[in-house]
Amino acid sequence: MEWLEVFDISLFRSVLRSMTPIALIGFGAAMCSASGVLNIGLEGKMLNAAFIGVAASYYSGSALTGFIAGVSAGVLTAILFGVLSFNLGADEVLAGLAINIFAIAFTRYLLETLFDRRGFFSDPSIQGIDPIEIEFLKDTRFELIFSGFTPSVYLVFFLAILLYFVYYKTRLGTAIRATGENPEAAEDAGINTLRMKWLTVIFSGVLAGIGGTFLSLENMTLFTEGMSAGKGYIGLVASSFGFNTPLGTFGASGFFGLGDAIGIRLQGVYELDSRLVLMIPYALTVVVLILIGVRQRYRVRRVPIDISE
Amino acid sequence: MNKKQKELAIEVKGITKSYPGVVANKSVDFTVNKGEIHALVGENGAGKSTLMKILYGIEQADEGEVSVNGNVVQINKVDAAIKLGIGMVHQEFHLVPSFTAAENIGLGEEPRNSNGLINWDKLNKDVSEIAEKYGLDVDPNLRMIDASVGIQQRTEILKTLYRNADILILDEPTAVLTPQETDELFQVIRSLVDEGKTVIFITHKLREVMEISDRVTVMRDGEVQGVSETKKTSVKELANLMVGREVFLQVKKEKSKPTDVVLEVKDLWVHDARGLVAVKGVNFEVAKGEIVGIAGVDGNGQTELVEALAGLRDTSRGEILFEGKNIEKNSPRQRRREGLAHIPEDRSNTGLNVRLAIWENLIGTSYFRSPLSRGGIVSMKNILRHSNELRETFDIRSPGVTIRAGSLSGGNQQKVVVARELSEEPALTIASQPTRGVDIGNIEAIHEQIVEIRDSGKAVLLISAELDEVMSVADRVGVIYEGEFVEWVDPSKVNQEQMGLYMAGIKG
Amino acid sequence: MEKFSFKDILVLIAGLFITAGVAYAILTVTGFIPTDIAKLFYEGAFVGQRNILNTLNIATPYILTSVATVISFRVGMFNIGINGSMYVGALYAAWAGYRFTTLGHLSHVSLCIFIGMLVGALWMLMPALLRVYAGVSEIISTIILNFVAVLFVSYMCNGPFRAAPIAPTTARILETAELKQYFPNSEFHTGFFIAVFVAFAAYFVLNKTTFGYELRSGGDGLVGFYPSRYSSYLGIPSDRSAITGMLISGAIGGLAGAVIVLGNTRNFYQEMAFNQGFDGILIAIIGKLEPLGGLISSLFYAALKNGGLFVDYKTEVSREIVVILMSILIFFVSAQKIVSSLERFEFVKKLDKFFSRKVK
Repeated sequence: MEWLEVFDISLFRSVLRSMTPIALIGFGAAMCSASGVLNIGLEGKMLNAAFIGVAASYYSGSALTGFIAGVSAGVLTAILFGVLSFNLGADEVLAGLAINIFAIAFTRYLLETLFDRRGFFSDPSIQGIDPIEIEFLKDTRFELIFSGFTPSVYLVFFLAILLYFVYYKTRLGTAIRATGENPEAAEDAGINTLRMKWLTVIFSGVLAGIGGTFLSLENMTLFTEGMSAGKGYIGLVASSFGFNTPLGTFGASGFFGLGDAIGIRLQGVYELDSRLVLMIPYALTVVVLILIGVRQRYRVRRVPIDISE
Repeated sequence: MNKKQKELAIEVKGITKSYPGVVANKSVDFTVNKGEIHALVGENGAGKSTLMKILYGIEQADEGEVSVNGNVVQINKVDAAIKLGIGMVHQEFHLVPSFTAAENIGLGEEPRNSNGLINWDKLNKDVSEIAEKYGLDVDPNLRMIDASVGIQQRTEILKTLYRNADILILDEPTAVLTPQETDELFQVIRSLVDEGKTVIFITHKLREVMEISDRVTVMRDGEVQGVSETKKTSVKELANLMVGREVFLQVKKEKSKPTDVVLEVKDLWVHDARGLVAVKGVNFEVAKGEIVGIAGVDGNGQTELVEALAGLRDTSRGEILFEGKNIEKNSPRQRRREGLAHIPEDRSNTGLNVRLAIWENLIGTSYFRSPLSRGGIVSMKNILRHSNELRETFDIRSPGVTIRAGSLSGGNQQKVVVARELSEEPALTIASQPTRGVDIGNIEAIHEQIVEIRDSGKAVLLISAELDEVMSVADRVGVIYEGEFVEWVDPSKVNQEQMGLYMAGIKG
Repeated sequence: MEKFSFKDILVLIAGLFITAGVAYAILTVTGFIPTDIAKLFYEGAFVGQRNILNTLNIATPYILTSVATVISFRVGMFNIGINGSMYVGALYAAWAGYRFTTLGHLSHVSLCIFIGMLVGALWMLMPALLRVYAGVSEIISTIILNFVAVLFVSYMCNGPFRAAPIAPTTARILETAELKQYFPNSEFHTGFFIAVFVAFAAYFVLNKTTFGYELRSGGDGLVGFYPSRYSSYLGIPSDRSAITGMLISGAIGGLAGAVIVLGNTRNFYQEMAFNQGFDGILIAIIGKLEPLGGLISSLFYAALKNGGLFVDYKTEVSREIVVILMSILIFFVSAQKIVSSLERFEFVKKLDKFFSRKVK
C-alpha cells in the first residue's frame, strides 16, 4: 500500500491551501444561491481582485493596501453584477458570464498597459501577506499541522462557523433563505427581498475579493493571466454540492481541495493519473445533483381514490 | 357578549377601486363586528378579493375610508395592516417549503437571545402554546414540504396569530381542503372566536356560510347586495342575491339538434398537481350539434377535467371515448388530429407562446401539413397567406402577423387562440373560459362563433365560471361542485336561484 | 420569429456608440490618438488579402460556437458547456485524423468531422437528460462538464493518445484528414466554408422547417424557457425538443473544435486552450439569437480581434481592449430594462410600428 504514503501532514496542509479559495468563493455562492441569485460571475470578481491586489501592493509597497484594494475590486465587480441584474433587468447568468469574460480581458489589458508584461507579473516590490505563526502552538506537535498558514486559511474556518450561525440562528439567515425559496412568504413577513439579494451579492464580492488576493498575495506574490483558473466556477459547484449550506460548502470545498492536493502529489509519481483523481469531485457533484433532482420529482404523492365518497 | 358585538372591528365606507377597464369595487360599505364570524360571499369577480386586498394593504382604494376598531386608518402596505392586528390567510399559501412550521410562523419576528441569535426553543414553545390555545394541531418541527394542505393552512393561521392578529381574513379557506379538514377548520374558527378574535370568511359555498357564520355580506359586480344575520336568511335568498339577475344575457340561436355522440366520459377520476383528487368519477356525453356547458365556481375540478380531456394531464381512472375510441393514451397532437380542439383557460402561458410572432402562434396546429409545409419544409408564402386570412376572418387587430403575440391586447390574444383552434374545423371544441379578460364587444363575437360551430353540426364543450355565459350560450348545462356534477339542467327551464344553489353544491 | 424591432436596433447602435466612446476615452487616457488607432484597426481587419483571410480564419470557430449557442438557447436550454464539447470534439477529430489510414481525402475529412460532432453531441447528452428527467440545472451541469472536459482531454493526450515522448500531444493528423489551407500567408481553410454553411443550415432548419418550429416553440427568448406549457399543449414533445436541441448544440460545438484541429493545428496538444465556447454565447446574444445574426456578429467580432492583433503589433495598445469593449457592449445589450424603457418615447413606438409594417 505504498500509495498511502501520500497521506501525511504536508498533504493535509496542502489540502487546506487548495480548498481556501474554493471555500471562499463557495461561501459567497452559497449565500447568493440561498437568496435566489445564481451568481456565475464570481470567477471574474476573483480575477479582478487578484490583479488589483497585486497592482496596489506593487505601487504602495504595502500588503494591507493591496488587500484592501483587491477586496474593493471584488466588491465593485459585484456591484456591476448587481446593477446589471437587479436594476437593468439583464439575465443573471448572462451578466455573470459577461463579467467573467470582461475580467479576463480587463486584467490582461491592465497587465500590458501598466506593467508592459504578458502572461505574468512578479516583482520583488510586491508585498505579500505573511503567514501567521500561532504562538501557543509553538513547539507542540500541532505546530506543524495548524501553524504558519496565511490569514485566509484561518478565515475559512472562522467563516464556516460564523456563517453556520448566521444561516441557522439569526433573523438575517432565515430572511435570506426565505427570500430564495419563497419571496412572497418573505415579503409577507416584512422582508425586503431585493435588499437581501444585494446583500448576498456584495458579500460574495467581498469573499471573491479575499479569494483573489489569496491567489496573488498569499503564498505567492505574483499575478498570472487567468490565474483564477476556474475556481470561481468550482466554488459555485462546491456550493451546489453542499446544498448551499455553510458547512456543506465547507465540506465540499475540502473535498475539492483534497482532490486537488492528491492530484498534485500524484503527478508523475504513480501510475494513477492525477487528472482522473481530479475528476472525482465533479463526478460526485453530478451524483448529488441527480439525487436532489430525483427526490424533488417524486415528492407529489397522490391521494388514493375513494370510490365510496 | 351582546355589548361586545356592537363594537365594530372593521368599518369600510364608500370604497371604490377601479382597474384599467373594470370597476372592481363601487362605493362599498362593509362592517364587521368584533368577535363575529363574518362571511363574505359572491361569484368570481364580484369584488370580494379586491376589498380584502385593500383591507390588507396590498391594494390602495381610489376613494373611501377604512376604520379599524373605531379609528380611521391608512393601510398603505401590508406591514401597516399587520400592526393594526389584521392577518390574512391567502388562498395560495405563502410558506417556505424547507422551513419547519415554527420557522415559517416566526419568519422575520423570531425571538432572540441577548446575544442576538434566534432562540429556536422559545419559538417552538411559543408556537406550541398558541397552537394549543386555539386548538390548531401543528407540530412545530414539521417541514412544510412534508405537511398536508390542512396543516399548511393551520400554519398560515398560526402565522397571523403569532403576529397578534385580532382580525383574521380567510380567503376561500376551504377550497383546498377535504371535508374532514374543513370540519377541523370550522372548529378552529370557532375556538378563535371564543378567544375573542374576529374572522372574515370569504367563500362562495353557501352551505358553509350557513354552518359557520354569524353574519353574511353578499357582493356582486363590485357592489354589496345585502347584509344579514345568517340566522335570518336562507340559502335561497343568498343564492338569489349572489347571482342576482332574472334575465340572462341573450345570444341569438335556434334550438339545438343534437345528433351522434362525439365525446363520452365514463367514471373519470383525475388528480391535481398537489396529488389531491380533483375530478371524482364524472360521467357525461357531448353530441354533434349541441353546446354542452359546465358551470361552477373556479377550482371545482374544471381545470383538471379539461386538461385530462385535452391530453395535458393523466387520468387516474375511467375512460374518455372520442367518436367511440378510447383516446386516453393519445397525445394532444393525436387528439387534435382526430378532431378535438382545445381553447385553454390560461391564454398567455399555455394557449400562446407570447415570445413568438402571431403567425407562429397561428400555425401551431397545422404547420406540419400541406400547404403550410411540405416534407418538413415550411412555405412562408402559404403560412403568411393562411395567417393573414385567419387574421381577417377572426378580426385580430394588429398591424401585421409578424409582431409578437405578447404585444397584443388580451382580447386579441384570445382571438389568436380561437382562430388557431377553430381553423381546424374540429368535431369537438373544448372552450375553457373563452372570454376571460376579453372586452364586451369581442365576447359577443366569440359567443356567436361558438353558436356557428354548433350550427355547422359540430360539438362544443364550454366551461366557464361566468354563469351568464354558460346559461346563454349552452344548450345543456352541468353544474360541477368539488369534482362532481350536482345536476344537469336545461338553461331555458331553470331559474337563477336554483343555479345558485347547485353551484353551492346543494341539490334539489 | 419577430423581425428585429426598431428599439432593438436602436439599443444596439446606441451600445456601439457608447462602446466606441468608452474606447475613445480609454485610448485618450492611456495616451494614444484614438483616430490613428481606429485606422490601424481597420487596416488590420480589412486591408489586404492576408488580413481579410485572417479575419475570416478567426471568425470560423466563433461562427460555430455562436450557432451552437443559438440552437440551445432557442429550445430553452442554457448551455454553458459548448467549450467542453469543443475540447472533446477537437481531441477525437485529431484521433480519427491519424487513426484511419486507408481512407481518401473526402471520406477521411468527413469521418473526422462526423466523429468530432458525434463526441461533442454525446458530451451534451448527460446535461440534457439530467435537466429533462431529473430537473438538474443545465447551467451547473454544463459548467461541471467544462472542467471534466479539460481534465479528460489533458489525460488522453498525456496517456492513451500521446504520440511524442517529449511533449503531451497526439500524432499529427494524416494529410487525407486535413482541411485545405488555400493561401501560403494565412491559416484560412475550408473550415470557414463549413462554418458559414452550418450557419445557413441552422437558419434554414430553425426558420424554414417544421422541425425548427418544434424546437423554437419550446423556447425563444434570452432566458431558458424549458419546459414550455405552450408546446406540450400543442402536443409537441418539448422534452424531446430540449434534448435534441442540446445534442445539436453539442455537435456544432464539437465541430468547432474539430475544424481547428483539422484546419489549423493539425494535432491536439495539451496546451490547447479554447475560449470560443464562452465568447460564442456573447456573440450569439449580440446576434439576437439568430443563426445569421450570429454569423454577422462573429465576423464583426473576428474583425475587431484581428484588427486588435494588428494594433497590438504596431502600437503599445493591448489587443485585449477588443474583448473589454465587447463585454461592455454585452452589458448594454443584455440590459432588458433599457430596451423596454425606450417604449416610453412616442417616436420609438411609431418607428417600431413602421418597421413591423414593412416586413409584413
